[in-house]
Amino acid sequence: MARLARRRWGRLPGRGQVALDGRQLLDDDLESVGFDWSKLRNASPPELLIRFVFGGGIALIAAVAGSVFGPRFGGLFLAFPAVLPATLTLIEKKEGTTKAWADASGGVLGAIGLAAFAFTAIQLLRANPVVALALALLAWLLVSGGLYFLFRETGLFLRQDKLLTTR
Amino acid sequence: MSIALIGLKALVGGFVVVGFSLIGQAGHPKRFAGLFSAAPSVALASLAMTVVARGTDATLAYAQGMLIGSAGMVAYCLVSLVLIDRLHALVGSILAWLAWLAVAGGVYLAVGK
Repeated sequence: MARLARRRWGRLPGRGQVALDGRQLLDDDLESVGFDWSKLRNASPPELLIRFVFGGGIALIAAVAGSVFGPRFGGLFLAFPAVLPATLTLIEKKEGTTKAWADASGGVLGAIGLAAFAFTAIQLLRANPVVALALALLAWLLVSGGLYFLFRETGLFLRQDKLLTTR
Repeated sequence: MSIALIGLKALVGGFVVVGFSLIGQAGHPKRFAGLFSAAPSVALASLAMTVVARGTDATLAYAQGMLIGSAGMVAYCLVSLVLIDRLHALVGSILAWLAWLAVAGGVYLAVGK
């Protein structure tokens, strides 16, 4: 794919050669887990606006697609990665490619949690829609969080890094 | 579905996406923060409003579609890892949409219709 892209487009925005920093990824796995709410002071309104537009846009597409082609088709777009390219590009711009890669590797586990969210909702919606959505959110949190700690503690992240990187 | 409901879904979906992205921005380390990049933000807003406006049957069908879409999302994230390593974030993460399209579209055509 990379060779094909280089041949077709010549020099890519990233000069066609990305060097991920393995040390940074290792440090990431050793850093404590938590939330630093003071970081939100750096959240810039234009970046939030981009996310709002992409998020609102895909919700709009899902609603229109559901209305025209049926709700099951529209539902596909509830799990479309509309905001991720913007998020990853902003992270790369500010903190480098390795951090963007790290964010995307967490995204894989979040996506598996997304399937748990949908599965839980399907099982419980008929019984009680409010409880179903609350438990579905809990399922996403438990599955994605549980997988995160499993990958972190067992070194699976590092194996995944070696498997998927070229260098 | 009324235009007002579609507009409301877009508006609330946008706000919930921003909310989850702020949680992700505060989270550390980066791999942990990445979980919130794949949070069910649009889904939560959209399904909640569908329950209120159209009842559980329509919502159930949306959730079934979402389950298929989430298989595409897993494929997207895996492929984006491979492509970011080779093409940087912008090109890699946009090209990876093809993986979502292939998997979500393929599964939908095979079993979802």
